[in-house]
Amino acid sequence: MSEFFHQYFDFTIMGDHFSEVLEGFFKNLLLFAVVVILALMWGLILALIRQLPGKKFAPLRFLTIAYIDVLRAIPILIILLLISGGIPYLEFIPKDIRIPHWFGQPDPFWYSVLGLTMVYGAYMAEVYRAGIEAVPGGQFEAARSLGMSYGKAMRHVVVPQAVTKIPAPMLNEMISLLKDTTLASVVALGEAVLVSREILAESFNSSAVILAGAMFLVITLPAARLVDVLIKRNQAKVSRGAHIEVA
Amino acid sequence: MRKTRLAAFFAVLLLALASVVVAGCGGGGDSTSSGGGGETSSESGGGEPLSVGSDIPYPPFEQGKPGNYTGFDIELMEAIGEKIGRTPEFQDTSFETIFRDVAQGKFDAVISAATITEEREQAVDFSNPYYLSEQAVLVKEGSDIKSLEDLDGKTVAAQQGTTGLELAKEELSDSEIRPYPEGPDAVNALKAGTVEGVIIDAPVAQNAVEKSGGVEIAEKVPTEETYGIAVAQGETELLDEINQGLKEVEQDGTYKTIYEKWFHLEPPKEIESETHEAE
Repeated sequence: MSEFFHQYFDFTIMGDHFSEVLEGFFKNLLLFAVVVILALMWGLILALIRQLPGKKFAPLRFLTIAYIDVLRAIPILIILLLISGGIPYLEFIPKDIRIPHWFGQPDPFWYSVLGLTMVYGAYMAEVYRAGIEAVPGGQFEAARSLGMSYGKAMRHVVVPQAVTKIPAPMLNEMISLLKDTTLASVVALGEAVLVSREILAESFNSSAVILAGAMFLVITLPAARLVDVLIKRNQAKVSRGAHIEVA
Repeated sequence: MRKTRLAAFFAVLLLALASVVVAGCGGGGDSTSSGGGGETSSESGGGEPLSVGSDIPYPPFEQGKPGNYTGFDIELMEAIGEKIGRTPEFQDTSFETIFRDVAQGKFDAVISAATITEEREQAVDFSNPYYLSEQAVLVKEGSDIKSLEDLDGKTVAAQQGTTGLELAKEELSDSEIRPYPEGPDAVNALKAGTVEGVIIDAPVAQNAVEKSGGVEIAEKVPTEETYGIAVAQGETELLDEINQGLKEVEQDGTYKTIYEKWFHLEPPKEIESETHEAE
């Protein structure tokens, strides 16, 4: 038992390597920040294309649904490995784009951004869609009957109402995203898990890995509580007779 | 109703898939166990048996199933045994306790890809080195990079927790060093062109050159690490015999044959002149 504690909770090792692991964790946060902005936009675009009406847009709708389904169905790990191992070979793309070194970040960072945005765009598209579909149809019809175009009705009436329904499920996606940034270690991005595993290899002690886990807890645990608060608040609205809650 | 039926259908489908997978795995396991390793231990040595401890598996140094062990260490020990008229009998053991056990006489000798260190010499005596651990600088075919120094300032990959990574960190202060979880990931990054060099164990590098192509070894860097055969302290007679056997094996070309068989590389020339004073 004491060996177990020594192996996982050696505070000397945690203290000695705190700044290294923290630096790695900042990489996770940076990756998260970039991806969350891009994925929120990409997800909204996907969700809106998916809602486009009429026969004219059927092929586009089909493609979008296929994209969302496929990307949600493949492990992110595989997507990251395919991107980092595949894109550099596409010689018709200029080298600076194929192997990007933008804003002082190396290519593994940008491969991770691309992979996570592709997948989380699909996840978030589903959240948006649930929000849009939860806005009662009468709202859209009323907007149209007031003479608004489809685009205006969506922009001014449906989407603003949809957005109020999604914070809780969206926050859940963000918590998952923050945790999934650790997958970038497979493409050798120096984030918290990679750094702490490196320390494990040097010291044969797992305490740094625990330390990395603790750093995630500091962010994700309050966030999980916040999700609950948001859900409660939404339920309170519903019980006062407001709109139906988003699943 | 329809929904439940659909759900039931998928459940059955998943179950069927799972059972196929399980059956497949079982089959695979069977075939490997019946296949077994190639060579059997040589019976020829005759004479007094020599019990040898080794932590198996550690391919390509030691691998295989009980009674059927093989690998570089195993074959080398058998060759030495033949020279000195002892038949090695291998015992699988764990590496943590291997030196204590040989010191206490649980086996006569240890051959287990064991690096000769001062610490270990407090407990046991080592033979002359029989293996020099070398790191290789792996680059793309036709690359301008010809040596380890050429890599300084470039993006370099290595495997986590290896001597190669340590070497990269020590020697290449201006480089961005990327520790990949597995060696092949680092080699793939090199082939894809996201890194310009990989520093990795020479046998692994050679394997990549042969099996994957498009990459070549620019330079081989000897490290301080040498492997030795350990015996209990004070067993000078046995140690002398082993050293003598090792020398003969090296001189008559058996060593080279075994080395090339397991590492697909020429043995480094230094190995023949390396000696080691037991303390």
